[in-house]
Amino acid sequence: MKHSFSNKISSLFLLVFLLFSCSSDLDFNQAKDLKLEPAYVANLAYFDVPANKLTNSGGNQIIFDSRDFDIFKKQFFRDYLSKAEFDVEIENNIQRSFVVNMLFLNSKNQVLITKTFSVPAYTGTSNVIKYPTEVFENQRLELLKQTEQIGFIVLMASGTPLDQSSLGNLKFRSSATAYFTIQ
Amino acid sequence: MRIKYLVLGLLLQFSCFSQNKEVLYNFTTILQASLVNPGADVSYKFYFGFPLLSGVSLNAGSSSFAAYDLFAKNGVDFNQKVRDVVNKSSRNDKVVTNEQLEVFSGGFRVGGTESRSYVSFGVYQEFDFFMYMPKDLAILALDGNKDYIGKAFHLDDLSVKAEVLSVFHVGFHKKMNDKLVLGGRAKIYSSGANAVSVHNSGYIYTGQEPGTPNLYNQIISSNLELKTSGLSSFTKDEYDGNIVRDIAHNTFFNGSLGLGLDAGVTYYLKENLQVTGSIIDLGFVRQSKDIETLTYKGTYQYKGANPDFTNQNDPENVFDEFKKAIPRDTLYNKYTTWRPTKIYTSVEYSFGKSRSDEECNCHGHVTERYKNAAGIQFFAMTAPREPLVALTAFYKRNIFEKLDVKATYTVDSFSNKNIGLGLSGTIWKLNIYALANNVLEYKDVSKASSAAFQIGLNFVFQDKEE
Repeated sequence: MKHSFSNKISSLFLLVFLLFSCSSDLDFNQAKDLKLEPAYVANLAYFDVPANKLTNSGGNQIIFDSRDFDIFKKQFFRDYLSKAEFDVEIENNIQRSFVVNMLFLNSKNQVLITKTFSVPAYTGTSNVIKYPTEVFENQRLELLKQTEQIGFIVLMASGTPLDQSSLGNLKFRSSATAYFTIQ
Repeated sequence: MRIKYLVLGLLLQFSCFSQNKEVLYNFTTILQASLVNPGADVSYKFYFGFPLLSGVSLNAGSSSFAAYDLFAKNGVDFNQKVRDVVNKSSRNDKVVTNEQLEVFSGGFRVGGTESRSYVSFGVYQEFDFFMYMPKDLAILALDGNKDYIGKAFHLDDLSVKAEVLSVFHVGFHKKMNDKLVLGGRAKIYSSGANAVSVHNSGYIYTGQEPGTPNLYNQIISSNLELKTSGLSSFTKDEYDGNIVRDIAHNTFFNGSLGLGLDAGVTYYLKENLQVTGSIIDLGFVRQSKDIETLTYKGTYQYKGANPDFTNQNDPENVFDEFKKAIPRDTLYNKYTTWRPTKIYTSVEYSFGKSRSDEECNCHGHVTERYKNAAGIQFFAMTAPREPLVALTAFYKRNIFEKLDVKATYTVDSFSNKNIGLGLSGTIWKLNIYALANNVLEYKDVSKASSAAFQIGLNFVFQDKEE
């Protein structure tokens, strides 16, 4: 009796442990396939120049400014940014037409990429222009990744003279969509 | 790459269940039952556990997904599975792991054969991990903010704590009379590594609001804090040791120290109606070794490049501004962590008396005991947001003289059909036990959202039969 008793115990324990062994076919190597592909939207650049800052007797005029843009100093952006898109929107309420040049400059102040946006003069009706999305991939993206400054050259074409009491603004707004591939 | 594995690692901590040892609780033929109720009605002349094998327990579970959901070999793209898991989860889903390993344990009766006072002692090592699903951060990492304009990603979704410690304990319990057993246990904790990040708040927001000058209103408001103890030296560049070995060494010999208390009671309302209660790990650790607290506190509004065409030498640097607005600060203050405190209670009704089936009973000393017991147990454990609770119905049966079985049915936030089974048998002086819960899922354990098992070997010596 003692014998069969311990046999029963051991077979019960065996049963419990056998229960542990059942599992669907799992493949943990799939973890290697994990690919993160997030897309982030962020402000890119913005300015708002009032007409009374552009006092002018009617001829051409050029204004310029540049800002540090040090995103690409981060290894993370250089390594994982796989595509970038820029969206630009300009609103002009000044009775003059403009050409806005957006320059991407490297550390030596050399121009890498120039984008040109023509802005018609204000004629009394809504004057908001959304420009087509600019896509940077492959070689252009590599060029973009060398950027350390963003510069703007704004050319005002000749037309109605502007003085301290002139109304209206030239508003530039832009955003970037950054697509990452982390693998 | 590191970021990828960090994300995956956070998702994969689907180890364990909530530390509820519902099968072990009040299973008094197993001496380790006194670790979940020091006032359990257990008796022995003396015993010692098989070193490293007297109590091995592992609990694994997550309230929102199972291993199968991520790793099934079913042809579905892995990234899609990760997305599905994140999407169907909620921020209150939790991932809990607990592992315990008894290094040694023993006990003896104090006083003569008539005495009913017992001492027990031991050392065990424990690992705890608790995390809520950081849903918003997972979405931000997987999808980005592009399709979530107007949504605030909440940083308080990040709530995680982990600890490796060893516990040196001495317990005492005494059967005061036939109705009442009282017990207590004093514990010294030695924490080898601790990380806590539970008091976080803030958000990352991208919105489009009419009337604002920029295209987007982008704000990061951060109140993040990570406290660590016993870990910071491993993150230094000059460290070149074996992390596992060093943590193990610190856990037993050079940890942050703490104190704790267990207390428990068993009371027989009638001969066959028993109530019990216990409180386990009412204690703290004063984290003092190799401590480091990292904080990121501040608010930053991102505007992009903003030329004004007036001052051409106005430097603007996004990362510098960001670091100034939300600086990374490192503090070296000692801090106190509270152990996850557990409470158990039970009511048990016994029925069906049986005579001992020992063959020889020459002295006419008939020992009668109940063959069956059934009842209800309640469990609660402290957690960062709200306590975890579980309700268990159980049935115990004495199959042979030296073989007992316990079955449990537990309802908690992980599952509402968790069936547990436990066996405890004694061959000669060797007590062997095996406990497992969620046995219904064992037909395919990969689909289980939680699983726990515990096994152990003890040598138990009772008084010789007269």
